[in-house]
Amino acid sequence: MKNIFLKTTGFIMTGLIIANLFIVISGIVISDEIDNFEKKTDNLLKINLTLEKKVANLGSLKFAQEQAKEFGFTNSTAPQYIDQLKYAYR
Amino acid sequence: MKIKLIFLLFIFFYLTIIVRLFFLQVIYSPSNKSAYLKTNKLYPIRGRIYDQSNQPLALNQNSYQLYIEPKKIGDKDKLLQLLSKSLEIEEASISAKLDMSKDWVAISGGLTQEQKDKIDKLNLKGVGFDYQTKRFYPEASLSAHILGFLGKDNQGEDIGYLGLEGFYNRDLRGLPGFIETERDIIGRPILIGVQQRVEAENGRDLTLTIDKNIQEISKKRLLEGLDKYKAKKGCVITVDPKTMAILSLVCLPDYDLEKYYLFDENFYKNLAISDLYEPGSVFKPLIVAAALEEKKIKPDDIYNETGQVTIGEYNIKTWNDKYEGRISMTRILEKSSNVGMVYIGEKLGNKKIYSYLEKFEFGQNTDIDLEGEASGYLKPANNWYPIDYATVTFGQGIAITPIQMIRAFASIINGGYLMKPYVVQKIVSENKVIEIKPKIKRRVVSKTTSDIIKKMLVSTVENAEAKWDRPKGFSIGGKTGTAQVPIKGIYDTSKTIASFIGFAPVENPKFLTFVVLYEPQTSEWGSETAAPLFFEIVKDLIVYYGILPSQ
Repeated sequence: MKNIFLKTTGFIMTGLIIANLFIVISGIVISDEIDNFEKKTDNLLKINLTLEKKVANLGSLKFAQEQAKEFGFTNSTAPQYIDQLKYAYR
Repeated sequence: MKIKLIFLLFIFFYLTIIVRLFFLQVIYSPSNKSAYLKTNKLYPIRGRIYDQSNQPLALNQNSYQLYIEPKKIGDKDKLLQLLSKSLEIEEASISAKLDMSKDWVAISGGLTQEQKDKIDKLNLKGVGFDYQTKRFYPEASLSAHILGFLGKDNQGEDIGYLGLEGFYNRDLRGLPGFIETERDIIGRPILIGVQQRVEAENGRDLTLTIDKNIQEISKKRLLEGLDKYKAKKGCVITVDPKTMAILSLVCLPDYDLEKYYLFDENFYKNLAISDLYEPGSVFKPLIVAAALEEKKIKPDDIYNETGQVTIGEYNIKTWNDKYEGRISMTRILEKSSNVGMVYIGEKLGNKKIYSYLEKFEFGQNTDIDLEGEASGYLKPANNWYPIDYATVTFGQGIAITPIQMIRAFASIINGGYLMKPYVVQKIVSENKVIEIKPKIKRRVVSKTTSDIIKKMLVSTVENAEAKWDRPKGFSIGGKTGTAQVPIKGIYDTSKTIASFIGFAPVENPKFLTFVVLYEPQTSEWGSETAAPLFFEIVKDLIVYYGILPSQ
């Protein structure tokens, strides 16, 4: 009887220790993942802001002016119809 | 015996643990809490600002503050040399900040991602970065006075100053959140511990009524105008006269929004809403509209313009002291006759003049949604002398802001409605869109009066004494103005404020533009400075809007 009790207790204790170890290790793994996700989210936010800046730069009038200058379109010309009305109706 | 010894050993260990826990949890509790409980503030992202076509005018960008932990650095001289090269700051400046007795020293803020990456590659010991965000303006200072700038309050927190950043600071800044977690010794969250997270609420985005293309046209032309007419400063405001939605607002000189701290405070002032001035002849159509509304005059009524008019001890004359004899009310506007306006003022009567000034809400804020507006001052009626009633008919002796002027003018050409000017048409948050509708403050004149004054203003442009290079075939209405500048109570004849206010197309005005030039040197007259500049802008706007000629 005493042997059965000791064996059962030993078995349960071993099981609990294993379960405990498993929970602790899983906790550490999940914590690491949370930490990684936090870093990745922060990083994504930074990348997002960088990309937003690049897109805005490409769509800006400043960029268009630089491009126009590069391609030689610096002198804007008003349409003829502003000064010569006959062209407005052609 | 052995069992007893082991038992006593266990008791001793347990007691040691209990005593240690008592010290940690009870006696040193508050200070030790921070060792495992990590609370981080979650900063909201400041709201973005877009123009009417959702083109960005103000965004956020990554920014870093470089710091040094002096006790962890290796070779100080080498560190200074490398940082100086990367940051393009003198070694002496960095050295002056580097206090070796401290644990942490901030060296330089506002570094870009590229600068940070470059320094990271150097692998310098004791050098670190704090993350921040800062404003980024894709169009640089194109809309400086509209946007305002982002500075710091006395606690080092971001705060918007002037313009939209100031007016909508509460909407733009958002609400900070926080995250509180129990962490282990290497900073990983402990899952069974305290976990509390309150998300930050990002700032609301603003969509403006501003059209950045019109803004660009206005700024380019104003720059050319200031240079050509050697004016000290100037403003161009373009609005939709039906709604008083501001389409563009440019005042020069302006300043670099990202480096606002390098400029004198005078550059921050938005002349269009903060600067009081005497409007001069652009004011005349308001008095004529009031007289038409009260049925005191008709456009074809005749006035006999024979010479100067005397009011008390003052003589009022026309700008060139020439008189045409019998002229119509329309002709009074065309030739901008001061004596003719005194006649119209007399027909209208002093009480009515004052009541219309109140109806146009001079002396009150327009409530435009930009920080920094000045209200002006309309002195009480019992302080007005006869000369005040005479001079106000041609826009002297009253101090108003350009935004008050354009709002009042819009009301006489839009069917008679005095509107509230506005810059923001939408406030967008994560789950809600607030649309801002045009707001009528009151009706000042009837549609009939509005139609009549529009025709008179077309005639004013077509038959003005100055001949302008204006787009042919397009119906444009408008009025010049040349106001003298009072200095210590005396008008300085050498200094004027030249202006032109006009609209097109007359049948259904698409835009109303007001040009003001302060102290032009090439000519003192609005007709020779502000008016040609106005027509240059109009030519661009006609092309931009694709407006067809009407004649």
